[in-house]
Amino acid sequence: MLGQLIVSSLVVGSIYALMALAMSITYKASEVPNFSQGEMAMMSTYVTFVLLSSFGLSFYPAMLLTVGFAFLLGLILEFFFLRRAKNPTPLNLIVITIGFQLMLYGLAGWKWGSEQRQINLPFSESKVIVQNDVFALTELNLATLVIAFIVLLVIYLLIQKTKLGLAMKACQQNVNASKMNGISAYRIMAISFGISSIVGAIAGVLVAPLLTLDPSMMWDPLLKGFAAAVLGGMKSLHGVVIGGLLLGLIENLFGFYISIEFKSVVAFAIIVLVLYFKPSGLFDKHYVRKV
Amino acid sequence: MRNLKTTYFEDLQLFKDGVHLFWSAVLILALFTLPFFVKTYYLTILNLMAVNVIVALGLNLLVGNTGQISLGHAGFVAIGAYTTVLLLKLGVPFIFAFVAAGVVSALFGILLGIPSLKLEGPYLAIATLAFGLAVTTLIGRMDFLGGRMGMNVPKLQIKWMGLKYDHALYYIILSITIIAVIAMRNILRSRIGRAFQAIRDSDIAAAAIGIHLTRYKLYSFGLSALFAGAAGSLWALYLGFINPTLFSFILSINFLVIIVLGGLGSITGSILGAVVLTYLNLQLENVVDIPLLGAALYKFSEVFMTTTGIANVSWVLTGFILILVVLYEPLGLYGLWLRTKIFWKRWPF
Amino acid sequence: MNKHTFFEVVQLNKSFGGLKAVNQLHFDVKEKEIFSIIGPNGAGKSTVFNCINGLYQPEEGQIKFKGEELIGKRPDQIAQAGIARTFQNLELFAHMTTLDNILLGRHKSMKASILATVGLSFKRSKAAKEELEHRRKVEEIIDFLELEAARDQFVSNLPYGKQKLVELGRALALEPDLLLLDEPAAGLTQEEREDMIFWIKDIRDLLGITVILIEHNMQMVQNISDRILAINFGTQITIGTPEEVLNHPEVIKAYLGEDLPSTL
Repeated sequence: MLGQLIVSSLVVGSIYALMALAMSITYKASEVPNFSQGEMAMMSTYVTFVLLSSFGLSFYPAMLLTVGFAFLLGLILEFFFLRRAKNPTPLNLIVITIGFQLMLYGLAGWKWGSEQRQINLPFSESKVIVQNDVFALTELNLATLVIAFIVLLVIYLLIQKTKLGLAMKACQQNVNASKMNGISAYRIMAISFGISSIVGAIAGVLVAPLLTLDPSMMWDPLLKGFAAAVLGGMKSLHGVVIGGLLLGLIENLFGFYISIEFKSVVAFAIIVLVLYFKPSGLFDKHYVRKV
Repeated sequence: MRNLKTTYFEDLQLFKDGVHLFWSAVLILALFTLPFFVKTYYLTILNLMAVNVIVALGLNLLVGNTGQISLGHAGFVAIGAYTTVLLLKLGVPFIFAFVAAGVVSALFGILLGIPSLKLEGPYLAIATLAFGLAVTTLIGRMDFLGGRMGMNVPKLQIKWMGLKYDHALYYIILSITIIAVIAMRNILRSRIGRAFQAIRDSDIAAAAIGIHLTRYKLYSFGLSALFAGAAGSLWALYLGFINPTLFSFILSINFLVIIVLGGLGSITGSILGAVVLTYLNLQLENVVDIPLLGAALYKFSEVFMTTTGIANVSWVLTGFILILVVLYEPLGLYGLWLRTKIFWKRWPF
Repeated sequence: MNKHTFFEVVQLNKSFGGLKAVNQLHFDVKEKEIFSIIGPNGAGKSTVFNCINGLYQPEEGQIKFKGEELIGKRPDQIAQAGIARTFQNLELFAHMTTLDNILLGRHKSMKASILATVGLSFKRSKAAKEELEHRRKVEEIIDFLELEAARDQFVSNLPYGKQKLVELGRALALEPDLLLLDEPAAGLTQEEREDMIFWIKDIRDLLGITVILIEHNMQMVQNISDRILAINFGTQITIGTPEEVLNHPEVIKAYLGEDLPSTL
């Protein structure tokens, strides 16, 4: 039983890890926790749904278009809203993302909200494809694990091995110095939001078959992803991924052995407790302002 | 012409001159005589506005004046509401139940404040959010609090000069709101309020002049929760029924929208924000009934969206207004009010 | 009082990672002295101040003020003990007026509780009486520093020189026994600097406050100090009267660099 629990935790945890990674990418770039991350993912998931069901596209072309849409959505948030704020405080920017969240939520409800919908992925959620003494894995579970792993790997390579990743790191450390070296800080910021939105969208599509498709479907994954990112330390990429997997594990173990109803509350309680001892999460250094 | 001040006390008094006193008196008089002229429905709206004013005052103290963030204030409102109802059911007079609501809520505020002291930005946001979530989940599990089904709020036994129940309720809520506004104004003008703002602007300098950061952050959390708890008590009273879903994350966000829209760090802002957003939300609930615009929106929904989801327009609009405020008027409605005042003072120049 | 040195730093050590910012620093300051700490950029001067006022916890050593150990105390406790400071890059309460900034300097002397402050708008209330009493003291400081015109302005709107004065005023409002000034003349015009020298002397002569200051302007340091401590890489180069210190070969070397061109 424990083996099965751990495997299920990894599946849920990898969704949290994706959401946490999405939050972390933009937080590193802008110091803003993006509250609209969930709604952006939700919108993208609806786009997949429409492409699959109304336009009759097959899964992979639909995914490709969704990724493009998600990227564009990230650019819109950065270019039309966040960039327009003059001398913003962190709170100002947080409020902008909350405003964007409400707008997307309203738009989705206006367009699709009246009916419950089901998204059909080519991965079955009931067909068991791995079965042994320790655990069983459905097609969807396996796809989730594999896709999440690929996304994490791609993001890692993107940031560690490419010029773009180097520019992103440079902008995080010193915006002015980056500008002087010919990096367009605005463009890097916009691209960061675009990439983060893609990561969120993939999490959205993967989690959609487990939930009903409705405008509030990403609330829980967003909160968990945010919590996971905080647990790991918002600015540490490997930290947030570990945070996501850890959160999945805590939730599932507690849910199974003690109480399923309190599993979310306890997960949050543990995070608050961790923060009490490590105010910037498990893997991030606490920063003290110099005078 | 500007009046010259002759004593330092003139900076402390409530009304800065006769004109200010006069208009404040007119406004208060108007609010107190209103029940004789309007339908009960409008009193209900005013009640809701007043309750939101009280929560906004408290939240603005924490966010606008102390520079902390809270995404869990609905939790404090819930604690105030449930404390009141529980005590009323036990036969405790309302006045004590009301005070207890504030005190219990403040204690929870301090309790939440303790682990939150070291946290900043997103870390504080997640801790407060977790708190809000925990409160409603726990209440939902407790049968003596009505669980998920919620519970009815006992009606008060009010026999004041033959006043109608709705009117009496309105007077109670209005009076408490006025007291809350004055109390908050005085606290903010005092050494305590200045210390909060000092922490917001530079915690290092605040400590260097002798402000105990831990203690004052806890004061701020406590006071903020006290106001939210008091508001929750009144809310329960006029709703007549409470359940955990009333106090969701969305309600916490709604309070945040109120203070941002009204103006961070400003009492006038808290009042304007609460009044305007409450009104706006009520109007947008029946967006189709708005003349001209309603019909156009309906047509638009038929063609491009769905007519059944048209109520969602209120979310779109709220979100859009929120962004516009941050981008173009960071002081919110209070900033707009200041500009109008300056414009009239200088007119026609 | 006579039993103890007024203010004393004993074998102070503070490092950041591998870097020793303050290394075995040792000095004392006499009552009503104007004592300067000089040294090149990054010599550890501000770190000394941050250790004294409790922002940093040094690894070793003692800091004694009137015989009382300061290490281990929080910044607010140290302020309560009678030490006030200003900051190198200004730490003002930017969204508040000059008056409120200086009134905040009175915070620790005021006692009104939260409950009492609710009555502030009533003339007879304790809170109002206390507020007015301290307001009078603040007005004296505003007069002293000639800040009348800036009284009701937000400090972020004031010119830099005035902002420095507001910060000085806020520190004075604490009525400290020891005042730490971190580069009080940096960024000031010639005229403003001369005023600052005048005020610092007045602070000592009229108010009887002991002053420790960090400063880069040698003319000012020479003019104002009773004694000077020169440090580099966190260690003492020399300590003594202005003439002794400023003519010390190590000090000249530290400031002008090793390879002094022979043409100079």
